Amino acid sequence: MTLIETRALSKSYRGNLAVDAVDFDIAEGEVHALLGENGAGKSTLTKMIAGVVPPSSGEILLDGKPVTFDGPADALKQGIAMVFQETSLVPSMTVAQNLYLGDEKFLNRLRGVAISAQQFLQSLNFTVDPTATVATLGAAKRQMVEIARAVRLKARIIIFDEPTATLTPEEKRHFFALVRRLKERKVAVIFISHALEEALQISDRITVMRDGARVVTDVTANFTRETIVRAMVGRTLAGSDAARKTTVRPVGDKVLSVQDLSMGAIVKNTSFSIFAGQITGLFGLVGSGRTETAKIIAGVMKRDFNRGGEVALDGKPVRYNTPRPAMQDGIVYVTEDRKLEGFFETMSIAENLYSGHLAAGENKIPVVSWAEMTRLAESWSRTLNIRAINPDARVVELSGGNQQKVVIGKGLVQKPRLVIFDEPTRGVDVAAIAEIHHLIEKLADDGLAVVVISSYLPEILKLSDRILVCRQGRVVEEFSPLDASEERIMYASVH
Amino acid sequence: MWWDALLDPFRGKAVTIPPMDGAFRPNTLLETAETFAEVAHPEALLVYEGRLLVASGADLLAFPLEGGAPTLFRRFETTISALGAFPDGGLAIALVAGEIRFLGGRFDGRVITEVAGRRIHAPTALATAGEGVVYVADGSARFAADDWQSDLMAHGASGAVLRLDLAEGEGRILADGLAWPAGLLVEPDRSVIVSEASRHRLLRITGDGRSKPQPVLSNLPGYPARLARATTGGIWLTLMAPRNRLVELVLTERAYREDMVATVPRDLWIAPQMSSGNSFLEPLQCGGVVTMGVRKPWAPGRSYGLIARLDDHFRPISSLHSRADGRRHGIKDMVEIGGVLFAASRGGNAVLEIETGAA
Repeated sequence: MTLIETRALSKSYRGNLAVDAVDFDIAEGEVHALLGENGAGKSTLTKMIAGVVPPSSGEILLDGKPVTFDGPADALKQGIAMVFQETSLVPSMTVAQNLYLGDEKFLNRLRGVAISAQQFLQSLNFTVDPTATVATLGAAKRQMVEIARAVRLKARIIIFDEPTATLTPEEKRHFFALVRRLKERKVAVIFISHALEEALQISDRITVMRDGARVVTDVTANFTRETIVRAMVGRTLAGSDAARKTTVRPVGDKVLSVQDLSMGAIVKNTSFSIFAGQITGLFGLVGSGRTETAKIIAGVMKRDFNRGGEVALDGKPVRYNTPRPAMQDGIVYVTEDRKLEGFFETMSIAENLYSGHLAAGENKIPVVSWAEMTRLAESWSRTLNIRAINPDARVVELSGGNQQKVVIGKGLVQKPRLVIFDEPTRGVDVAAIAEIHHLIEKLADDGLAVVVISSYLPEILKLSDRILVCRQGRVVEEFSPLDASEERIMYASVH
Repeated sequence: MWWDALLDPFRGKAVTIPPMDGAFRPNTLLETAETFAEVAHPEALLVYEGRLLVASGADLLAFPLEGGAPTLFRRFETTISALGAFPDGGLAIALVAGEIRFLGGRFDGRVITEVAGRRIHAPTALATAGEGVVYVADGSARFAADDWQSDLMAHGASGAVLRLDLAEGEGRILADGLAWPAGLLVEPDRSVIVSEASRHRLLRITGDGRSKPQPVLSNLPGYPARLARATTGGIWLTLMAPRNRLVELVLTERAYREDMVATVPRDLWIAPQMSSGNSFLEPLQCGGVVTMGVRKPWAPGRSYGLIARLDDHFRPISSLHSRADGRRHGIKDMVEIGGVLFAASRGGNAVLEIETGAA
């Protein structure tokens, strides 16, 4: 019996269509895998189903009746729960407290809560200690608690967004067993994943999305890895061929050598090298550890204390605990989340650029030099073509493209030797994309070592002199853009 | 941070191996190369009077460059380990027994077993420069030239580079304390580039040998051997075996290593080899290297085929590979002439012929 159905469901953000008239349905006790590239619209579709974002048009039918949700809490009341990668549990509370959070009795006894939580978890056959503090649990157990909470609230549809990305193999086994138990209880499961193997293993039906639209829905038995990959990337082969590189820059000096780098379950024994005068494209799907790897190199994150591997800059081992020493050694990381990590939004362009100058330890005396700040702002605004209504404009008032240029400028002010761009054109308009691409090319032409992390394959193919593919926390394949194809890269990233 | 130096001892000993990426990106150029000749255990190559001399065991074979049946140029009592030629047509031949013999030319018939008071134990490479000057890479003071694995397992560092001026009768030790020097290249300024196999690097030794050797290329993903100048600029470098995590681990475990060396046949050691996959008794490495009888190309094998092309600044720019699932392993020597690179695959028992445009 069909539990939920969407009809021509669409969502647009400022005119950009994220989900385009998608018809989707799921039946009772069904596991439905939702696959697609990054940005294919999977998360947006499920967020609309879970009431997290309202649809722009189209309708959602629950048990055959049209419904609208006021928010996720409302959707949950009607039996739809979504489990995000970052769980919404309170880490300092126990499992039992989290299970009954917001539903406590007036006179609440911890022991009573723990006992009823224990009984409930046992009924689900979940082996989690109800008295354990959530912060002490592993990722899989946290997900168990999250799921238990959804089931306790009578969720009939549970949506998992990349549930296995951060799990260890052992934890994944637990998770799959858990999904099967949910299925036995007639709970419908929507499963978003980049791991095709898992989707083929666990789902009853598969829907592949591309560029916001549904490409194909069929029973899992009718799919193979190859047909899924083809459906995932099929769209722009002709377009990317037009932008295909015909020459690559020669290999320069080895600037960075990463050997057996490890960080928890996210980065696992990854090894690769970065060379001067080249653009190295780093492609990988969500959860492949590419951003985390870049952040470890730049000192934003720390590798494992024990056997965390080695990072060598110009042959000399380095270990950065904060970004500042990395910047001083000439490593700049241009973040993918510019709003959160990229700039000070209420400060002006000049102040933001100057903050990069300060971070690199360029000012010799601890006094802000307004003259230097103005000079930097003028020179970099011209170089990067940053367009603002007035020079004192706050960065928050700029367009996405200009904001990104400020973030890039803030990095380049530091006179780096290695620049890591993480999704440099995400949320940037077409004209600015061309400018940013041109800038990245110029940096490599000037002899800098450049790394571009991107989820957009045509961008990787267009910019890169060599392409590294990450999968499950490590670099698994290297391609030359001269002989790579979208399908081959995607194949490497999912197998 | 300064405290990292204090914390490092508690972080565990990590032996990391540089990845084969960038210029070392795997391909199958060696595996798919034409076979010039099938020769048992080719050890050294030399282009001499329009022919390709190939050292195979104790035999020195001469092949026409355009291909065809070989003729026996000379047979020695022991295995030949290296070859060199003088401009006057004389040949220098190193033997595993620790001798350098000279054939033809001004120094015909001379035999050298000692240079500057050092007995030659393991002549692994020869290079000539001008009239009567020969450089000898003496791999070890303890093991013979065909016993590199033993020297590696013993953490040997007793190799030396020797310079011998036959005309003047002068000999000099240019550098010693080297971990199996296996290749030599004389630079125009008379400095010598040496491949130090067991330390995975190339060193520059000044012509007078007075300065400390300086690394010019370090942390290679394999064990470097012979060097040769490319005709279109740059340098060819053979890497006779790949580095491997299991071998690196064994190299840190003294008791295990000693036990292995004492009780296990040498071909079955967990050590780099010139060929592998020949016996089910060989150690499997890291598991999953063979599936349904098929060896995976990315398997961490004990043998590999690899030639790197370096630029004039010794930066790797490209490479030719025979991967773990291939047979053309253990590339010991190579020589380029007329746009063709000849490579001696000791493990593959073949001399390969590669158009250099392919590299």
